[in-house]
Amino acid sequence: MAVTGYLSEFSLAEIFNFLEQGNKTGLLTLCTLADTQTEKRENHYIWFNQGRIVAAANRLDQHGLAYMIDQRGWMGEHTALRIAQTCAATTPIGLSLKTQGLLTVEQLKLLFYTQVMRQVCSLFALKDSWFQFDGKAPLPFAEMTGLNAPATEVTLAALRVLKDWSALTSKLPEPSSAIMSVITGKPQQKLDQTEWCLWEFANGTLALQAIAQQLQLPLVKVQQVAFRLVTAGLVEEVPLVVATPAALKSEPLPVETPATEATTVSHSFLHHLVGFLKNKT
Amino acid sequence: MEIMRLVVTGPVGAGKSTFIRSVSEIAVVDTDRRATDETALLKQKTTVAFDFGRLSFGPEMALHLYGTPGQSRFDFMWDILIQKAHAYILLVAAHRPSEFIDARRIRAFMRQRSAVPMIIGLTHTDCPEAWDLENAAIALGYLSATRRPPIITVDPTETASVAQAVIALVQHSMQDCLV
Repeated sequence: MAVTGYLSEFSLAEIFNFLEQGNKTGLLTLCTLADTQTEKRENHYIWFNQGRIVAAANRLDQHGLAYMIDQRGWMGEHTALRIAQTCAATTPIGLSLKTQGLLTVEQLKLLFYTQVMRQVCSLFALKDSWFQFDGKAPLPFAEMTGLNAPATEVTLAALRVLKDWSALTSKLPEPSSAIMSVITGKPQQKLDQTEWCLWEFANGTLALQAIAQQLQLPLVKVQQVAFRLVTAGLVEEVPLVVATPAALKSEPLPVETPATEATTVSHSFLHHLVGFLKNKT
Repeated sequence: MEIMRLVVTGPVGAGKSTFIRSVSEIAVVDTDRRATDETALLKQKTTVAFDFGRLSFGPEMALHLYGTPGQSRFDFMWDILIQKAHAYILLVAAHRPSEFIDARRIRAFMRQRSAVPMIIGLTHTDCPEAWDLENAAIALGYLSATRRPPIITVDPTETASVAQAVIALVQHSMQDCLV
């Protein structure tokens, strides 16, 4: 079953987190909704191998990387594609060209940065798009440099430079929520200074609004950094009980609840209950 | 009187009130009110306090079902319900990935306050856009099939399906040494 939806429902940051944590391999397609003025739609394609991003393009003919190499004057597009055809069908074109001494490691890194990091990071600014993940799509070896990046590392990089957060407003942790670590030890990712500061509070006790005051940062900034840590798979949002108005506290509950704490129930009770319920199935 | 208290929780529109209505022997104590915020986009009414249903199966034995408020305002009501619960089921609509994040919030809230057994019930799995169980599990943060609570599919409108879900929760509770 394909995973589909709209970015307004499940953000790109959440998708990347899902694909990395699920060690997914396949093709993520993003299709922008038609521009009201130009009626133009754009498709973006991102390939994953075991949760890591291996390639990105806005075309499916697997000529994107060869075109980029051509644009930089390192080699003609057709030459690059012809060489790729002579190599093993399961070797990324970038590795083939490096093995033959036609591209250097630095050139490959530059290509990967442009193809994946820059291109994918810009997609986080999309207001809304339809997405589909196809776990059966083959890897596009003629589009691959041979380098890869963990999906959440790309998310962190993208969200650090994201200017317009309006598409993610509803996803941000609540000001009254705390954050709690979900990993053992310290993060392996390279965090920036603010992320480290917030990480120090990842024990599920202090609300983000209180953290913002302590760090003397705007609340929305703290919420955004917390969201980055959540989508990087480092912490989870833990809602704290919000203060209740005094008037509400004095109202009687609609159903009387026992005054004592939860007591145990017997095995005999549970067996009777299961037997009774089985008659209803 | 021996009473087991089960809490039915989940994001708005997951089917909590319907779940309780489907299996309760009494008219569910209904605290639904007209939704006035973004919840109104999903349903006309939402539970503002909690739902209550009951199932008696002997002169001195009863199951009490409590549904949490639909909106994710974690107030004293949530605290009372989870502190008194013997177990809970987290309902998640499989066709609304936008609410997976709310489901994770609720689970984190519950987990911090109580270690009682829990299972996850995926609803609306018959919708064409529904995520399958394995993908929904990952999206909810469960990466290993062997290290997660039982995840079942449930149709809150069907008494038999709800009864099956409660059986799963009770049996999971028995494994977790409830007594």
